[in-house]
Amino acid sequence: MKLLGRILQYQIITSLCVLTLGAGLFFLSVRYLIDEEVNKELLRSKAKVSWQLRHIDTLPVYILQLGDSLQLQAVPYPGRMLLRERNLLNTSENERQPYRELVFYERVEGQWYRVTISQLLAQRQQLMKAVVMTVTFIVALLLVSLLLLNSWLSERLWRPFYKTLRALDNYQLEKHEVLEFSRTKTLEFEQLNLSLTRFTERLAGTYQNLKEFTENASHEIQTPLAVILSKIEGLFQDETLKENQLLALSEVSEAANRLARLNQALLLLTKIENRQFLAGNEPVNLQPIIGRKLRDLEDLIEQRKISIKTDLEPTGPVMHPALAEVLVNNLLTNAIRYNVEDGSIFISLVPGKLVVRNTGNVTQINPELMFERFRKESTNSASLGLGLALAKTICQVNGQTLTYETEENLHVLTVSW
Amino acid sequence: MKLLLIEDEKALATSIQSYFQRENFICEWAPDYENAIEKINIYRYDCVLVDLMLPDGDGLDAVRELKRKYPETGIIIISAKNSLDDRIAGLNLGSDDYLTKPFHLSELNARVQAVIRRRNFQGNQQVRFGKITIDPQEHSVSVENQEIILTRKEYDLLMYLIANKNRVLTKESIAEHLWGDDADLMDNFDFIYTHIKNLRKKLMDKGCPDYLRSLYGVGYKFSEQ
Repeated sequence: MKLLGRILQYQIITSLCVLTLGAGLFFLSVRYLIDEEVNKELLRSKAKVSWQLRHIDTLPVYILQLGDSLQLQAVPYPGRMLLRERNLLNTSENERQPYRELVFYERVEGQWYRVTISQLLAQRQQLMKAVVMTVTFIVALLLVSLLLLNSWLSERLWRPFYKTLRALDNYQLEKHEVLEFSRTKTLEFEQLNLSLTRFTERLAGTYQNLKEFTENASHEIQTPLAVILSKIEGLFQDETLKENQLLALSEVSEAANRLARLNQALLLLTKIENRQFLAGNEPVNLQPIIGRKLRDLEDLIEQRKISIKTDLEPTGPVMHPALAEVLVNNLLTNAIRYNVEDGSIFISLVPGKLVVRNTGNVTQINPELMFERFRKESTNSASLGLGLALAKTICQVNGQTLTYETEENLHVLTVSW
Repeated sequence: MKLLLIEDEKALATSIQSYFQRENFICEWAPDYENAIEKINIYRYDCVLVDLMLPDGDGLDAVRELKRKYPETGIIIISAKNSLDDRIAGLNLGSDDYLTKPFHLSELNARVQAVIRRRNFQGNQQVRFGKITIDPQEHSVSVENQEIILTRKEYDLLMYLIANKNRVLTKESIAEHLWGDDADLMDNFDFIYTHIKNLRKKLMDKGCPDYLRSLYGVGYKFSEQ
């Protein structure tokens, strides 16, 4: 939910509470005032009626006819004066309406009378209506103005914030970008932008250092390795070497070669993790890559008598073309390496999915563990144990998923995008 | 044939130098950029091997200078830098090949010979070894005028053996030449053996003497003796 939306939510809830409470208090206070007024009026009537009753012998009879609102009833003894509210039938409108009554006792010519004066409280109902209508109107007005204010705020005041957000969204470290923002009048946004600029400056610097370190490490390790390998090769040409010396030399050569390959693979892995291979915008068609790779591996496949079945459509994920090559290469070589004699490989490429299914040994290892670096099935294999780790990393940085499942003797690697 | 090696690592330079001297190449060495420019300006070379990272300059500048002066000289970049950008920059400047360190000297040798062949004779020169004649342009091989049909791998293998004749070739270097990065797929090198066996058989069927000697556990040697 947008920040302004949330603010609006709280504003609406608070306004509704305040308004309800305010309306209630308003209603009560107005009612109190009106009641007071009615009471005063009733008491004034009482004084008048009392006086009239006391002088009834000297006044004309019709004076006392106050209609419905005055009732006289003879009672044996007086009671307390009281003020009360009752719903009575209004004969003129023929419905029950609230009345306020004043009941008191008066002695006329030795006889006690109970006198009841009633006053219709019609104003109160009108008041209720007025309060409800006013409050509803205020609420509506408030809501409309809040909405207008919010949209205006987000349009004007929050504009730099959303600009910053968009810039961050599009930020790519690999481009060594430093985010620069135009100045804003709001102090907080200005601070945010400044911190972000400094932050991205540091990031770009650190990233550059890391990249340089990787490159330098590559150079520093490759050069001594090149020396070692070249010296070994020179020694091989020495005709005076005995057979056992040649054999030892051959083992040194193998180990040095392996070290060289390991270094290359680790460097590639580091480079991919540092996201030095940016995906373009165009999907890479994997079909020709798979075809080419299968031709390259033809003799290996023939030698192990592996049968290949393919079902390829011209499609592929969005990634750096060099990485697509590495990915296909690692998946296919993995399928060949861990295959069995007379085994088979089935490759299917459909939009959104590349599946490589190969026969192999039944394994108890959790297939997901195969993605760990240096994980190997046997220690004497020439494999570096980095192939699937590389494939996994490539998929991770490009937003694809790579899964490994086993069904009986079938090993299934799936890339989905 | 005259080579210039621009490389700051002395130990590597001497290995390369002695390797090419056995080939009867004259191989001069420039340990830094300044020396390299000086040599380029004085002498003419058939092929120049350039390391990109030099203590006092960028090897690519040396390539540029060389291209300007003697565009017909072959150039091979040997670098520890393996990034695609460097490769593309190097090849764009007109270098003929790009070899990443570490490499096998036999691989470097094969590439130098291929570059010189392409440069000097516009690729029309036939390669001869004993009774074998190879036309690199046609990719055709014949023994005493009888053509032999070889697979792509067998052809590459034969070219590699001839380029490195009279030398011990390790199994790793052969595997890497033929399969590149896939070489580590082979848990044992029986694999090379299959190709060697097939090639040897095809050659000997046409009356070619057995030039190939296998050195147990080490590799192979291709020689006329």
